[in-house]
Amino acid sequence: MAMAQVKPPGPGGGRQVLESMYSMIALVFILVACVELCDAATVVDVYRLIQYDISGAPFGSRLANLNHHAGSLHFAPGSDLSRTVLIIPLRELNISFVTEYITQKQPLGGLLFLLPQIFSIENRERATSNHQIDGEVPMKNYLAELEKLLIHSKIPYPVYFAFEDDDIEAVLADVKRNDVSGQPATATTGGYKLVVSVPEPKKRASPTITNIQGWLSGLKTDGDANQLPTIAIVASYDTFGAAPALSVGSDSNGSGVVALLEIARLFSILYSNPKTRGRYNLLFGLTSGGPYNYNGTHKWLRSFDQRQRESIDYAICLNSIGSWDNDLWIHVSKPPENAYIKQIFEGFSSVAEELGLNVGLKHKKINISNPRVAWEHEQFSRLRVTAATLSELPVAPELLESTGSLVDGRPFVNETAIIRSVKLVAESLARHIYGHEGKNVQIFADNSSLAVNPSYIKSWLDLLSQTPRVAPFLSKNDPFILALKKELEDNTDEVNVQHEVLDGMFTFYDSTRAKLNVYQVASVTFDLLLLLVLGSYLIVLFSFLVITTRGLDDLISLFRRPTSRKVKTA
Amino acid sequence: MTVFHFFNCAILTFGPHAVYYSATPLSEYDTLGTSIKAALVYLGTALVKLVCLATFLNVSDSESFDPYQELLKALIGFIDVAGLYFALTQLTHRNISQNHKFQAVGLGWAFADSVLHRLAPLWLGARGLEFTWDYVLQGLEANANLVLSISLAAFGSLIWLRKNKPRTLVPLIYICAGLVATMPSITSYLSRGWGWHFLDVVVFELGTSLVMALISWWLVAQCQRPSA
Repeated sequence: MAMAQVKPPGPGGGRQVLESMYSMIALVFILVACVELCDAATVVDVYRLIQYDISGAPFGSRLANLNHHAGSLHFAPGSDLSRTVLIIPLRELNISFVTEYITQKQPLGGLLFLLPQIFSIENRERATSNHQIDGEVPMKNYLAELEKLLIHSKIPYPVYFAFEDDDIEAVLADVKRNDVSGQPATATTGGYKLVVSVPEPKKRASPTITNIQGWLSGLKTDGDANQLPTIAIVASYDTFGAAPALSVGSDSNGSGVVALLEIARLFSILYSNPKTRGRYNLLFGLTSGGPYNYNGTHKWLRSFDQRQRESIDYAICLNSIGSWDNDLWIHVSKPPENAYIKQIFEGFSSVAEELGLNVGLKHKKINISNPRVAWEHEQFSRLRVTAATLSELPVAPELLESTGSLVDGRPFVNETAIIRSVKLVAESLARHIYGHEGKNVQIFADNSSLAVNPSYIKSWLDLLSQTPRVAPFLSKNDPFILALKKELEDNTDEVNVQHEVLDGMFTFYDSTRAKLNVYQVASVTFDLLLLLVLGSYLIVLFSFLVITTRGLDDLISLFRRPTSRKVKTA
Repeated sequence: MTVFHFFNCAILTFGPHAVYYSATPLSEYDTLGTSIKAALVYLGTALVKLVCLATFLNVSDSESFDPYQELLKALIGFIDVAGLYFALTQLTHRNISQNHKFQAVGLGWAFADSVLHRLAPLWLGARGLEFTWDYVLQGLEANANLVLSISLAAFGSLIWLRKNKPRTLVPLIYICAGLVATMPSITSYLSRGWGWHFLDVVVFELGTSLVMALISWWLVAQCQRPSA
């Protein structure tokens, strides 16, 4: 019985051996590859400066690969830095030096900026006290200045951002010491080598922008022959910054998105009961393409037909309402004498008075021939829809300014400001919808079932502050976009998602984050020296062994053999 | 740190073996076959040791010194001695003097040890960009190991091959042989129990090897006198 179970070693066994051999060889290759990849002293996450073109004109850092020696700001003046990467901590930043270097197009191997941990988007666990934030205000200004410089320059070498941590600080201290002692790192004197190996950055073909809209229907009684009027509340959710992998835009425009979601939630509670449903439709729009002259809003409005557009009574756009103290601005493009504008402004002012804050009105005319769209409401105005933008910014930002930069992080946004903004907008809209203008009625009073929910705002703000949202790098089915869609679905009747392609004026390139390997290298002279020492060691060993085992004569005879042979033959 | 460094460390690790072979009379008497056979015996011994270690030892994550485990490892280390005995006595050699026999066996033994324990780390590690002194220290350790292996082979040949030894020297021979055989345990105790760095351990090994070399040389010379 046992014999029948024994397999005879035949061709099957041979194949097994062969297979195990192949797997062994594969294992060896994997081992070799693994060890080759992870033998750096330090590996740091780095984020690349954005690379983009505006109508073909290149901006940002044009290279991604890095393989040069590290240097610090203490380099000897006049030394050649074309094969050196300068590590510049933000705390020691000399903005004039960097400006000079970039504008004069001096050759450099690369730039690595070290940012304090407060700007990290993964820093949520550490509670940032107000004292810490106040201490970082000068940092904030330097960083803002630096960003503005970098975004608008064309830099032919790689520029990366990293966050301070112990490893890289130790490396920097070492590099500084070497530089101060007058030994800059080159191939022959050793030091540290910074290596980033990523594929060549490629253009992102057809970047998509996604607009999400939620529709809350008003109460249509049988007597109404026409369509109900609509009020639109719009906020753009995408960002643009110096490092696309870090552009979370907590204030611009995370605060607007959070406020919009909270307003949608409050009105959905009101509208769920037919007794409290208003006689206005509410349209909530989360648009993309904000930094690029509100391209997404333009395409979204174009997708409406004439009747729908005419039914929009007015639109309120929310832009940066997260870090103000007492003053908000309503920006309009129609003249303030216009009846509709007056009505909107008065409604907001009366609520603002009750809440104890100031609202001012700013008028900026639009120039149809100028493609620059500074505020979102201008896209509405160009299509003859009354609109206004509520913002803490007193003046219109320039192109690519206030669009969610590196300094726009969670520690610098105030939930209280957003809560007050939500109260202002919701109360003003509700009084207009239900016809209680001018009356001292608190619809969304605190401690009521319609109170603004601070934890809702906080949790959405936290989420937004951890999600970089640069539109070309957000795919159609990005989980964040789906989350926004689901949230609107929960709070509105009908949700539509519109996918469009970003207009051709802007071109973006990928490769936004990488891993930096820091190697400590010895110089070539060291290797040669070691070779010399080893060679002499082996020679001495050889002579020693010959002398002790065969005698000194043998050693000498080793060198004299040719002559002794000559003597023999002669 | 680049192929240059790998080359440097390789000649430090394996050069002395080649130098030893060519410098001493071993090359003249063509004892290469003996060395190769000794290397193969080492391979077999290493496999047996591996199996024993895998069976009897429980792997612990801590770097501390566990006396029981180390004792077990030392006992298994004596399989080395058994292998050396086998190589010295059982293999059929051509007519070469005892002196040359133990040198050839020791050389083959040390070469196999270096290749098995040091070639793989060298190939995988020394070619990377990052520079460490580890591989140079490893090469120095290989040198010390060469001397220790030859000393152990000398003691072994004195114990098993030479029949007429002066009585007084016998305990000394056994003591020294025991010391050299337990060197691996001693070095692991130093690095784990006392927390010595690799550099200190290598210096200790080099010192010990020199001392042992002198002692074994003197002993071989002493034991050679009666028959000379």
